Amino acid sequence: MEELILKLKNEIIEVLNLEDIKPEDIDANAPLFGEGLGLDSIDALELIVLMEKTYGIKIKDPNEGKDIFKSVAAMADYISKHRTK
Amino acid sequence: MSLIKHYIRIKCSKTCYGGIPEYQVTLDGEKIEAAGADTLLTDLYKARIGDYPKFYKMDPLCRLGFVASELLLNAENRREEQFGESRGVVLFNAASSLADDRNYQETIKDPDAFFPSPSLFVYTLPNVLTGEIAIRNHYYGETNFIVLPHFDCAAMADGIRMSFTDRDLRSLLTGWVDCYSETSFDLLLFLVDSEVVGREVELQHEIEKLAK
Repeated sequence: MEELILKLKNEIIEVLNLEDIKPEDIDANAPLFGEGLGLDSIDALELIVLMEKTYGIKIKDPNEGKDIFKSVAAMADYISKHRTK
Repeated sequence: MSLIKHYIRIKCSKTCYGGIPEYQVTLDGEKIEAAGADTLLTDLYKARIGDYPKFYKMDPLCRLGFVASELLLNAENRREEQFGESRGVVLFNAASSLADDRNYQETIKDPDAFFPSPSLFVYTLPNVLTGEIAIRNHYYGETNFIVLPHFDCAAMADGIRMSFTDRDLRSLLTGWVDCYSETSFDLLLFLVDSEVVGREVELQHEIEKLAK
C-alpha cells in the first residue's frame, strides 16, 4: 500500500501541475479538497480521469466520489480493491 | 504626450532546428533579464510575481498574458486602487487558444485512449485570459478577446475605441497576446485611458512603433 500511495502522490502532482510540491509534502490522510492541497472542482474531474486512465476504474456514482477522494490514502485503498489494470 | 503610458513587450521564438532560442522582454522600453527561452514565463513568474499558485494550472496563453499583466500593472504602480467598472480588459490575437487546443487534442485523438482532460478543456477559449486578469485585479469593466486574421494596428485601435463607448470605462488593459506554444509567442500589452477616443490614428501609429 505504501508503494501505491507514493505512486499516487507522484501522479497527482503531475496531472494537477502542483509545482513546487513534493510527494513528502502531501499527508496521505489529509483532506484533498477544501483544506490540505486545496484542490478545486476541475482538479476533481482530473482525478476521475486519472482513475480511469491509469487504473481502469470508472466512477459512475457521483456520491461515491466524496469517500474515494477523501484523501490519498482513501484513493489508494479504493484503487487496490477495484483496479482493472 | 504619448497615449500609451506603460507597455510591455515579450517575444519568444524557439525553432525546432536546434538553433538558439530567441527571446525579448522589455517593460517601458527597459530590458528585463531572464534565465532563458525554455522556461521564460515560469522564470519571470518565480522571480517577479510568485504569489499566485494558479499560474501553474494555466495554459501557455494565460501564463503569457498573466505574467505580462502583472509586470505591467506593477510598473503602473496603482495596484492599491479600486478600479471596479472603470477599467476593462480587451485583448487581441490571431492564434486564439491554439496552444491549449493542440494540447487538448492530444488527449482525444486516440479512440482507444480517449481521456479528455478537463483542466485543458477549460482553457480552450482565449477569453479565459481576460477573465483571469479581471478576476485577479477586480476589474469589472468591459472584457473582450478579439481574434483577428493577423496583427492589425488599425483594427486594434478601432476595437479600443469601441470599448470606450461604455461611458463607465476610464482605462483599458489591452494589446496583442498571441501564443502558439510554450516557447513561441508574441505579446505587446499596454495601458490606455479614454483620451484615446478621437485619436485612433495616433494610437495606431504608437502601437505600430512599439510592435517593431
